[in-house]
Amino acid sequence: MMKRLYSAVVDGKGFDILLVGLPLLFLITFSGLPLLYNVLMSFQEVDIFSLGSLIRPFVGLDNYRALLAQPEFWPIMWNTVIFVVCSIFGQFTLGFALALFFDAGFRGASFLRGLFLVSWVMPGLVVGAIWNWILSGDFGVLNYILRATGLISENIFWRSDTDFSLWAVIIANIWLGTAFNMILLSVGLAGIPKDLYEASELDGANVWQRFLTITIPMMRSTIGAVISLGLIFTLQQFDLFAAITSGGPANSSNVAQYWAWELSFRQYDFAKGATISTIMIITVMIAALLYVRSTRHEVRG
Amino acid sequence: MTRRPTPLLLAAAVLLSAIYLFPLYWMYVTSLKSGSEVFAYPPTFLPESLDFHIFAEVWQTRDMASFLWNSLVIASGSMAMVAVLGTGCSYVLARYRNIWVDIALFLVLMLQVLPASLMITPIFVGFSALGLLEYPRFAVMIAFTAKAMPFFVILVRATFMSIPGELEEAALVDGNSRIGAFGLIVLPLARNGILVSAILIFMQAFGEFVYSKSMIQDVTLQPASVGLNGFMGPNTVEWNKIMAYATIYVTPILAAFVLLQQRIVSGLTSGALK
Repeated sequence: MMKRLYSAVVDGKGFDILLVGLPLLFLITFSGLPLLYNVLMSFQEVDIFSLGSLIRPFVGLDNYRALLAQPEFWPIMWNTVIFVVCSIFGQFTLGFALALFFDAGFRGASFLRGLFLVSWVMPGLVVGAIWNWILSGDFGVLNYILRATGLISENIFWRSDTDFSLWAVIIANIWLGTAFNMILLSVGLAGIPKDLYEASELDGANVWQRFLTITIPMMRSTIGAVISLGLIFTLQQFDLFAAITSGGPANSSNVAQYWAWELSFRQYDFAKGATISTIMIITVMIAALLYVRSTRHEVRG
Repeated sequence: MTRRPTPLLLAAAVLLSAIYLFPLYWMYVTSLKSGSEVFAYPPTFLPESLDFHIFAEVWQTRDMASFLWNSLVIASGSMAMVAVLGTGCSYVLARYRNIWVDIALFLVLMLQVLPASLMITPIFVGFSALGLLEYPRFAVMIAFTAKAMPFFVILVRATFMSIPGELEEAALVDGNSRIGAFGLIVLPLARNGILVSAILIFMQAFGEFVYSKSMIQDVTLQPASVGLNGFMGPNTVEWNKIMAYATIYVTPILAAFVLLQQRIVSGLTSGALK
């Protein structure tokens, strides 16, 4: 018996099952179960005393009702939408423009393009600290540059003005994500056969027409994947909020993923934290489905 | 495509890169400024004097040795766990094509997207019930491994898929066991891809913040990201010191990145999109 088991592990199906089973078990235990536990908590009453116990009183939809009744709920949700849409728009357009530029294929292009990715490998807290300083109201270098070039006449208090605080984080996030967008879009561009452009050029199509009739259609699945990845990454962004505005002032730059953490770890209202997390996780899962769909041709072979 | 004048394009590319990398430059320059120069108007774009002793001072006063050591522990532990668990998983998911593989892959992709700041609430409550928070750095490693492994699996799976199956079959025909063929033939061929992906995981874990901030209360066990967060009060004026802290924290990562840049970029692009 032991011998058969041993030989199955060394030399048969058991080997595969072991290799894939352990990690999946790990993932299910430390990612899947917390996910379900989170949904469970959103229907429970959780306070600091019942934190350690697994069985707690159920309260039905009370947490959801209480959350929706909070005056900051809709403004924060709206901030989340603005943050996601504007970050993705900025990252994607800048990333696409840079990818097209570097696709011209000159000496040193791939090295310089690679350098852009430093923004992506840096710790989020460091990126946030740098932008916090750049965006400082009185002494920030961005205000200085904008004033020196005549774009503004008064300093903008990026972090403390409620009209600008969300934009402070969006600017930093666009900087952070542009490089990743550019690299992935470059791969898509490199996959377009060059003779398509030559044929089209002979037909008399100008640059803009070639972009619309060749580049965009050929890039469709790449663009789909990049935008859904952007959505996933943007909804994961937390460090920049912690390092630049802490969601303030007066929640003007707060978004769902930061609020969820604040509710749990600043106000110790774990039930509400779990509730907003559940709402957001469903949103992210929908985004992930879009991503899987756009890469499906690869998954299915 | 028509040939374009390369020097002109190169100059434009260098300019674009310089603009993009300006925030990084600003960190280094600010760290070298004196306390009064930081608030000079107009700001100086080159430091007036090069004074490197601020790094030693920040290292001492902010107790950076302890913070960086904890970052190193968390990053190494997470990387090891991700690599050990993830490599075999990616291999099997690359080798077969059936409904179970599709389901497992779908599961992995789905678990990749869960934001850490949303998952920390159930993880914290669950871990505290299990008593895992007694070992907070280990708790962070486990949580981070669960978070980062899917990304690793996707990258390394692409590496395994690029290795021809015939090589492994030949090894089996030659009398190797499955373990033998995997360890002697397939793994060595995939070594570079695994290494690059593991380094990426290390870099991410080195900057990890949400889990550490939420689960590690003891200052002597906190990593550098939490230390930096604690350094930046709302009304801080010590920007040269904060930037010196950031410089010490980030420079090793940047050096490793620049050295391995081409490999990281190609590893990243082969996995995330195809």
